[in-house]
Amino acid sequence: MEDRIKNVMAAVFGVSPGEISDDSSPHEIAAWDSIKHLNLVLALEEEFDIRFEEAEIPSLVNFKIIAATIKAYAE
Amino acid sequence: MELKYSEILQRNAALSKSLPTDRFEIAVLSNVEVFQLKEILEYALRVDNIPAAVTTGDYDNIVQDSLKYKDADLVIVFWELCNIIDGLQFKIELFDDEKMDQIFDRTVAEIDFVFRNLKDTSLVLFNAFTGVQFSSASIGNTNLERLAARLNEYVQSNAPRNVKLVDLHKIIAHTGVRASIDLRNFYSSKALYSINFYKAYCSHITPYVMSANGRSKKVLVFDCDNTLWKGVLGEEGYDGIELSAATKDGAIFAEVQSIALSLSRQGILIGICTKNNPDDVTEVIEKHPDMQLRDEHLAARRVNWSDKVSNLRDMARDLNLGLDSFVMVDDSPFETNFIREQLPEVTVLQVPERLSEYPQILRENLGLFYNLSSTAEDAKKAGMYKEQEKRERSKKDFASIKDYLTSLGMKMTIYQDDKSIIPRMSQMTQKTNQFNLTTRRYTERDIENFIEDKRTNVFAFSISDKFGDSGLTGLAVVRIGDDNCGIVDSFLMSCRVIGRDAEFAFMNCLIDHLKARNVQIVLAQYIKTSKNEQVMDFFDQCSFPLMSSTESEKNYSLNISNYKAKPIDFMEFIYGRPN
Repeated sequence: MEDRIKNVMAAVFGVSPGEISDDSSPHEIAAWDSIKHLNLVLALEEEFDIRFEEAEIPSLVNFKIIAATIKAYAE
Repeated sequence: MELKYSEILQRNAALSKSLPTDRFEIAVLSNVEVFQLKEILEYALRVDNIPAAVTTGDYDNIVQDSLKYKDADLVIVFWELCNIIDGLQFKIELFDDEKMDQIFDRTVAEIDFVFRNLKDTSLVLFNAFTGVQFSSASIGNTNLERLAARLNEYVQSNAPRNVKLVDLHKIIAHTGVRASIDLRNFYSSKALYSINFYKAYCSHITPYVMSANGRSKKVLVFDCDNTLWKGVLGEEGYDGIELSAATKDGAIFAEVQSIALSLSRQGILIGICTKNNPDDVTEVIEKHPDMQLRDEHLAARRVNWSDKVSNLRDMARDLNLGLDSFVMVDDSPFETNFIREQLPEVTVLQVPERLSEYPQILRENLGLFYNLSSTAEDAKKAGMYKEQEKRERSKKDFASIKDYLTSLGMKMTIYQDDKSIIPRMSQMTQKTNQFNLTTRRYTERDIENFIEDKRTNVFAFSISDKFGDSGLTGLAVVRIGDDNCGIVDSFLMSCRVIGRDAEFAFMNCLIDHLKARNVQIVLAQYIKTSKNEQVMDFFDQCSFPLMSSTESEKNYSLNISNYKAKPIDFMEFIYGRPN
């Protein structure tokens, strides 16, 4: 699952999956602006066939949180 | 589109590395955010070899952006009612008549501005107004829907020819209202539509872009057994095959034949290519009471036991069309795979195992044949190709080509700057690939601009002979440039009339016209494409001296007094009414 998340993040930010680390956040990834954030949310929702709660969307700003949130949906 | 958004992003990024420098520029003007449209649209077109580059205008800036992006190859307008004023989707239901009129008048005034700014743009796709995103569950009409209907009526009667209305209802029906919109992002950032909507939207508008790039399909070829009728003719026999609308399975094939017949009426060439005994198939075509596709509808027939790849190649050669304008329908996976493998440029449709889905699959693919400017010429086409076949046959009875041409009793009618034939002229520039010296594609608006420009003339010709009228089949755009030199901007001819020296007769007329305008020097150019090799020496044959040449083009400069006109004494010339 983590690889799938990294692949989606890489595609959205236009970087290679290897550049996505556990600590990746808007501070490290220059392309991670508010529009890309929206694109990321939609791409992840499609990838995992889930729908994030509106309140949690703004907090999905690093890889670890994203992975943990998606894991919770999967359970 | 089957791919996920993240896969589209990835593949689109990869494709953007190999884009040619000459892009198909698309500008999207919108009053809502359309963040994800750019890459999805680019990808949808790039996989079809259209080097699309999409620019999104500023948020809610349609009027100003229509001026800024008027030179794009395509402008797409997303004008959403819900954001004409902030929150219109709920505010409008409290409006009285006066306020309804006010908002209508204001919007119409803006639409007028946009249409004026975009009047010379090659192609504009304007999304029809709709309130269905918010009104799909209401029983009566809401004010939002009333406004949409009024605005659409206005747009329909006032849109210039280059503006095509996109019916969003079809796209939203395809995706479903709930799956089309994302209200979370609408309330937070004015982004109305979902990824699924954008995918469906891009698929829906692809035919417009393909047509604008001269990439519409022109020929639909059917296998016969279990494709045009149920059963195997060689086994079940004339009385055993089913194609009657009165039987369960027969009805499906009757529907398929009707779809083919209606395509043929729109000018799409219908062919058959089947492994069968020719006499058996002829008997069905001529006599079977339930057969709808008859000899006069079939532009080409290949009924034999050779392989279908060679047959399709022969067919393309005889019709003088590229294989990339062919669609083949067959029930045998062996045949469809073989054709896909050997002729990847042919679009292949497989008759589905669930027979009931067959007509619908055909309908879903009709966009392949979409043509921006369908004309009266198209409807006559199957007949014209048949005449072509007859000419080929009678050619053999004459000792010399000259005798043959004389016997035809040809008349060439030349039209200069004739506004009544703009759609057909534009279509010729979009669809002619082989006998086309520069392959410049022009929209109806472009042609109209040429006609209105005093320094540019648009010539076209039609040819008739004892077998029939070819219709408009040749076109040239000629410009008077600086220093009063003449420039042959475009010169093209339908392959239907090749081999009759019409091209030389037409060139003689153009040179006469330029002489009359006191032109001394005529500049001409051959621009190489993957399809126009047959005309690479055309200007040489017309006595134009070659000045320079590269891999991709040849440039000519002719002193008009040195022009050696090819004598054409077997053709009568008539001049159509000039504008």
